Amino acid sequence: MQSPTPGAPQGAPTDTRVHALDHLRALAMLMGVVFHAALAYSPLVQPIWPGADRQNWWGVDAAIWLPHLIRMPLFFLVAGFFTAWLLAQRGGAGLARQRVRRILLPFLLAWPLVHVATSFSTQWAMQYVDHPAPLLVLFRQLMAMPDPPSLPLSTGHLWFLYYLLLFSLLLWGARSLDWDRFLGKWLDAGPAVVSLSLPLLLWPGFMLTGAPHPAPEGLLPQFWAMLIYGPFFALGLGLHGRLHWLAPLQRCFWPGVLLCLGLYALFLLRLAEGATLTSTPWWWAAIEALIAGWGSLLALLAGLRWMQHANALMRYLAASSYWTYLWHLPILLTLQYLLMDHNWAWPLKFALCLSATLAICLLSYEWLVRRTALRRYVG
Amino acid sequence: MSQELNMPLIRLLVVKDWQLFQKQLAALVLAGIVALALLGLAKPWSFYLGSLLLIVVLVAAACFAIGTSLLTERKEQTLAFVMSLPVSPLDMTVSKLAGNLITFGVPFLVLLLGTLLVILGTPLPDGLLTMAILLFGHVLLAYCLSLTVAMQVESEGWNLFVMITSMVLINPFIMLLGQIDSIREPARGNDIVWSTPALAILAAQILLSLAALGYILWRHRRRAAFY
Repeated sequence: MQSPTPGAPQGAPTDTRVHALDHLRALAMLMGVVFHAALAYSPLVQPIWPGADRQNWWGVDAAIWLPHLIRMPLFFLVAGFFTAWLLAQRGGAGLARQRVRRILLPFLLAWPLVHVATSFSTQWAMQYVDHPAPLLVLFRQLMAMPDPPSLPLSTGHLWFLYYLLLFSLLLWGARSLDWDRFLGKWLDAGPAVVSLSLPLLLWPGFMLTGAPHPAPEGLLPQFWAMLIYGPFFALGLGLHGRLHWLAPLQRCFWPGVLLCLGLYALFLLRLAEGATLTSTPWWWAAIEALIAGWGSLLALLAGLRWMQHANALMRYLAASSYWTYLWHLPILLTLQYLLMDHNWAWPLKFALCLSATLAICLLSYEWLVRRTALRRYVG
Repeated sequence: MSQELNMPLIRLLVVKDWQLFQKQLAALVLAGIVALALLGLAKPWSFYLGSLLLIVVLVAAACFAIGTSLLTERKEQTLAFVMSLPVSPLDMTVSKLAGNLITFGVPFLVLLLGTLLVILGTPLPDGLLTMAILLFGHVLLAYCLSLTVAMQVESEGWNLFVMITSMVLINPFIMLLGQIDSIREPARGNDIVWSTPALAILAAQILLSLAALGYILWRHRRRAAFY
């Protein structure tokens, strides 16, 4: 039995487990840690990342935006699948109880703690770092004002929990109104139609936000985030009980990979001219929608092809990934602040930050979660 | 006169009201999420549209809750069936009161919390909080008055009249708040000010709401028959 991450059921017998989806979700969450660690060395996000280092390299940007376009869509797709599994196993009331225990409570407890820890380390960096990131310099200037403005409240990197709750609420509403039948009709059209129409559903969402798309961290639900992640959650719901339905798409796996890489090359060409902030031209948004839609489906197909079997290491990573993702950001930012004044090569700093963050998260999981009552909530 | 309440049956009646209201509640929750997302667009037009939609959702929740559990049941003669159950008139009153307070209370509290988060967590002036709470207070009072009338008066016409009038009065109420300097001025700043007029209005809304609910219980406690 594996201890899953948010939205995943706990207590399921092993033989009903779809290992590929567990592994994919763990990889999606761990990819998030790698992504945040790499942002410090990305030229594109230098002005907006508080842990941005003096050194950066264009190759980082070339490498990180592809997984960025795929990992959270894939996460919501898998989350939708497990939501449908829970609904089938425990009913609506059981699903609601599970959402409260494994999403709402961890969110309400972790949110203020993450906020305090991040604020504390950022204040320290503002005071003591000699080569601060541009954003830290801006914070310093703001704090020096006689009446410094306060930053709006945000959910930070825990936004995915907020949206999981929101999608669960939307699912309850849709089921009450019998709208879930539209999902069945969509899937009944066949995998080819779904694969072609998925990017069309995502397109408006990408047009309504900047490129590369930011995290929807605000306290209010964002239309663009619902339009991008909602279809994946819905697709995951629909795929429960019919993963075999994806089998015909395996034939298109390698051509699909090549196509996505080609589209990503176009994406990078446009990115070289700079990011957009509040909205994105239709054709660039279309490229993002195609990469996110097809890339996530390809990742799912890859998981079903190569990660079907139980694996001890992946099992451990899957079990600890929720806890790791909850706490990685304040730890990672603190380490990035501590290394800002050192003249070491950036790959060394990146490797140190990443490995130390993972080590701290995994050790704390081992001591605080794995064999304690916390396992029921975040294990 | 003391009567023992049939709690298991009351619970079932409340669940029944909740289930009958579920579809409407789902539609209202979806509309509420759309309203909050409109506010999240942070544009002047979307702010006004989102605020308006929030008020519409709130008013609709109040009207639908009463309409589904009391007016429609009366029209469809469901009471005759309920009378065949081992239930006293007081049980019926308590179940209707509890069912209504839950079906209206859940969206009311969710939207109140959402609105407070919007005001405190976004660049909107925090001073708006006082005015927002007074508006929610008005809807609560209008709902309690409509519920009292619905439980006391059989006429559908009178019920609709009270429901519509009390809810529509939110417009003049907003204008009235705009006329009171000690409420209007702080709404533009970042300090949350509870001036004497604001506190007096809120106290009156809460006391009148409680009085309306207390009146229903008092009246129905004295009733020995359903009719």
